[in-house]
Amino acid sequence: MTKANHHIFADGELSRKEGTLRIDTLEGETKYLPVESIDALYLHGQISFNTRALGLLNKHGVPVHIFGWKDYYRGSYLPKRSQLSGNTVVEQVRAYDNTERRLRIGHRIIEASIHNMRANLQYYSGRRGDFDSVVETLRELKTAVSDTQRIDELRAVEGDARKRYYDCFDSILEAPFRLAKREYNPPSNETNALISFLNGMVYTSCVSAIRKTALDPTVGFVHEPGERRFTLSLDIADIFKPILADRLVFRLVNRKQITTDDFETELAGCLLTEQGRLTVLEEFERSLDQTVQHPRLKRKVSFKTLIQTDVYSLKKHLLTGEPYHATEKWW
Amino acid sequence: MSSTDVVEEYVQDERDPSRSPNVPITGLMVQYYHVCKRELWFMANGIDIDRETTNIQRGTHVDETSYGTSRRSFMIDNRIQLDILDSGDVMEVKVSSALEKPARMQLLFYLWYLREIHDIDKDGVLAYPTERKRESVVLDETTTAEVESTVRGVLDVVGRDSPPQLEKKPYCGTCLYQDLCWM
Repeated sequence: MTKANHHIFADGELSRKEGTLRIDTLEGETKYLPVESIDALYLHGQISFNTRALGLLNKHGVPVHIFGWKDYYRGSYLPKRSQLSGNTVVEQVRAYDNTERRLRIGHRIIEASIHNMRANLQYYSGRRGDFDSVVETLRELKTAVSDTQRIDELRAVEGDARKRYYDCFDSILEAPFRLAKREYNPPSNETNALISFLNGMVYTSCVSAIRKTALDPTVGFVHEPGERRFTLSLDIADIFKPILADRLVFRLVNRKQITTDDFETELAGCLLTEQGRLTVLEEFERSLDQTVQHPRLKRKVSFKTLIQTDVYSLKKHLLTGEPYHATEKWW
Repeated sequence: MSSTDVVEEYVQDERDPSRSPNVPITGLMVQYYHVCKRELWFMANGIDIDRETTNIQRGTHVDETSYGTSRRSFMIDNRIQLDILDSGDVMEVKVSSALEKPARMQLLFYLWYLREIHDIDKDGVLAYPTERKRESVVLDETTTAEVESTVRGVLDVVGRDSPPQLEKKPYCGTCLYQDLCWM
């Protein structure tokens, strides 16, 4: 049983009304949000709020992810942690600081990431082009992962795989959508804009999942902690991007749920319009709630839970030495 | 080489105000020991998962709303939460009798703890308000031996470097730790 994310697009004010959240939009509308039923709150508009509202969110452990102008991710307000464990953080940092242990975890993350990229190509091979040779190359690169002895070497293998993977996008995507080259900051075309937006959603989903453990989100294993972001979230997001973001990009474009009308190109690059973001988010939330039968848990779990159990598995690995099972698409 | 029994040692550590045991045992630990040793290891080693599950809320609700007037709650040594009935018996309230042994052992541990550490002799009542069922629990030679072997077992499991092996149990599906344990 997972709770839903809640997205607020309106501009307005967020306040606390007794035990519940109240939103007054600039258009004069008032809405109440039962705080117990939200997993995470996403603010896409201009919202002002006070500490009483934060206090309520805090009490219910609801993180708030804030998106600024044109929905660029601005940051997160993470409630005081319900999970505090010095042990966990100590073990996490120890593993990071131990070349062997760090590499082993990095290997699992990148293997899963390449595996999931390959699964996408395998699905589209024959449908949208012939990707058999790239699928084969990704298989080899996945095998090569465990031979890498240094993190930069590992990242080079990952970069190589990702480049070959992105090279197939233009065959999969229906015209006029083209990726050409992966460019963000700012995204240079519609496809890049779509990928960036969805990658951001995957990233915040990972931030939420990590917050539910005592793990420190800033200490990642593949990404360097100096990157000024939650590098552990970036690591976990790499595993889930092909599953949750890329597959959705293909589907939205090829089913024409998203068209070029859903984008606007400005000096700052190409970005989704508000209507476009709404469509994408609705589909993204839907895919988070999709379920698959889990072979180890012997029950159906949602993709959102899958992120959570991936993080639990990492945590358990850090604390007990039992193997870390990074999520590799099996369904 | 001292051949002091771990249980004796534990009791000494508990009774001596200047010392405390390395692993202070709680009622929950005793319960987990009889439910699943792996769960005990996770819990005692501070490996926790998000506790939002409804089963816990249900348990808390049943406990808080049952037999309101005829019992008083005490917290002993900051660790042992006891409910004493007007009759003087120690009561433990459970939602269901499905896991009878763990609940009984938890209550027996409380009785043993009161006797060994605080020199207080009490009998116990195990209550299942939703099933309108009660069961009396007393410390005799057999049950004392059961408690002491549990204490030994708990200390052994908790002190291990790694968790006990994964084992499929009929109630894994309702366990809080399943998403961590099986992953």
